[in-house]
Amino acid sequence: MIEVRQLTKTYETYHRGHSFREALASLVRRKKVTVEAVKGISFRIEKGEIVGFLGPNGAGKSTTLKMLTGVLHPTSGEADVMGFVPWKHRKRYVARIGAVFGQKSQLLWDIPPIDAFHLNKAIYGVPEKAFRETLDELVTLLGVGDVMRKPTRQLSLGERMKCEFIMAMLHRPQVVFLDEPTIGLDVIAKDTIRRFIREMNAKGVTFILTTHDLGDVEELARRVIVINHGTIVFDGGIRQLTAHLGDRKRVRISTEWPADWAGLPGVRAVKDAGPETELELDTGVLPLKDFIRLANDRYVIRDMTIAALPIDQVIMELYRKP
Amino acid sequence: MKSRLKCLLAVMRVNFAARMAYRGDFFISLAIMLTGDMLLPLVTLLVYRTGASFPGWELHEAILIQAVFTLAKGVAFPFFFGIIWTTLDRVREGTFDLMLIKPRSPLFISMINGLDIDDFGRLASGGVLFGYALAVMPEKPDAPAWLQFALLFACALVVLFAVSLLLSGLLFKWVGSSRVYDMFDALTMFGQYPGTLFSKGFLNLLLYVLPIAMLGFLPASALLGRLDGSAWLSALVCVALAVLSWGYWHGMLKQYTSAGG
Repeated sequence: MIEVRQLTKTYETYHRGHSFREALASLVRRKKVTVEAVKGISFRIEKGEIVGFLGPNGAGKSTTLKMLTGVLHPTSGEADVMGFVPWKHRKRYVARIGAVFGQKSQLLWDIPPIDAFHLNKAIYGVPEKAFRETLDELVTLLGVGDVMRKPTRQLSLGERMKCEFIMAMLHRPQVVFLDEPTIGLDVIAKDTIRRFIREMNAKGVTFILTTHDLGDVEELARRVIVINHGTIVFDGGIRQLTAHLGDRKRVRISTEWPADWAGLPGVRAVKDAGPETELELDTGVLPLKDFIRLANDRYVIRDMTIAALPIDQVIMELYRKP
Repeated sequence: MKSRLKCLLAVMRVNFAARMAYRGDFFISLAIMLTGDMLLPLVTLLVYRTGASFPGWELHEAILIQAVFTLAKGVAFPFFFGIIWTTLDRVREGTFDLMLIKPRSPLFISMINGLDIDDFGRLASGGVLFGYALAVMPEKPDAPAWLQFALLFACALVVLFAVSLLLSGLLFKWVGSSRVYDMFDALTMFGQYPGTLFSKGFLNLLLYVLPIAMLGFLPASALLGRLDGSAWLSALVCVALAVLSWGYWHGMLKQYTSAGG
């Protein structure tokens, strides 16, 4: 469904210092800097997938998304989405995709979302009957029946975001690009949005999701692509992601005797909170059964929980790689 | 075409609804716009009352030129001049992205997004002034004069469209420059005076390089029966300018870099 080959985006920007002298000098001459935002990335996404597209700020994920939505022309490389080259067949292509940009609203500030929905109906040329059916379905799923008749400026962020989803889905797109769709939302609104995405995905819609909220990724994505410094540093399933940094576990342990973990190979204390210590255990160096035996022999285990490494730590370590 | 018209009507309906959210501001804007547009003809009237004049041009002729100029702007501003504001704001904020994910030509989407209900005040003032100028004409124009006027007035709109594309295109590269409207005023002000006031060289510039004379002087001359052959050559320049500016705008659009995500 989506195939990207050696996609590259380079652009020029200007650097200027912060001092008055530098600001003055920039009136005459500005230092031009070439930025390689995306450096030849390749991947393939199948129909019906939900893919988390992750990366730190400035990694190149939004630029990639903009190229895949036909907004930006790449410097080089190829992309094929549903048989279209996004930047070449933009008009026909965008009629088949949807996009939600968490920080850029498609709604109109002073008027109710329902008016903006009708505007999209005209722009996409959605027939009246199909529009009614889709709108009813989306409104029910997202629970915004009354909300969509209030002026947008009077809506809460969560209500607005639900309406943004309706805007993006009214023409029944086959692929939807989501750029930080849950940014700033409370847990209930996040849950509604995530349930909505799952329901739409069950109906065959493919989602590409960029987010900094790893809860979105854990709850929605079956596959994750991590991009950093413009290149893909990981592409695989969530389980593979947690295993990516080796076979590590997070162990919370409390012992009868004061413990000193510094000398144990493969063990690193993450947090020492009084009687309970949080450790990171590399089971490749010290197998779990050996760790338990050692800990019990030396300090007598009072309580212990073992869990997989949290995904945010895995991601953080991937981001930190040069 | 039908689908485009539907879009246009939908946008007009939405814009009207949005504007009615601040009715007070809407009516004040309309009043200011009407007053502003009437200012120059009023000054012209005062100048003629003192005994001074534009050499070779009667008061009703000078008023007609300015009325045609105001009417042309009155059509251009609400319908397509908003492209400039749309580009100015949206390129700076990076929200031009949202227009590129719509299945329409970016130019059409920019145009309908820039549609401004307030600017219909300009159309009203242009219409009123044009009606007044026609009413005070001692000899009414005949059918061929009206036909010539219609063609040249269409060219005036083409020039304004081309200028809006040139200025809007500039904003893809020259992000956030709000001075483009000052540039527009400076460029077009010569269109509201009789061309014979200017030197031959400068008039040629206004006829054949950037055909600003088309905005008021030439279509009004058609109604006054004072048209010469230069108008039709100038009309060809208008069409060429429109084609060039259309290509320029699309070329500049390719340079759109969006804003940080």
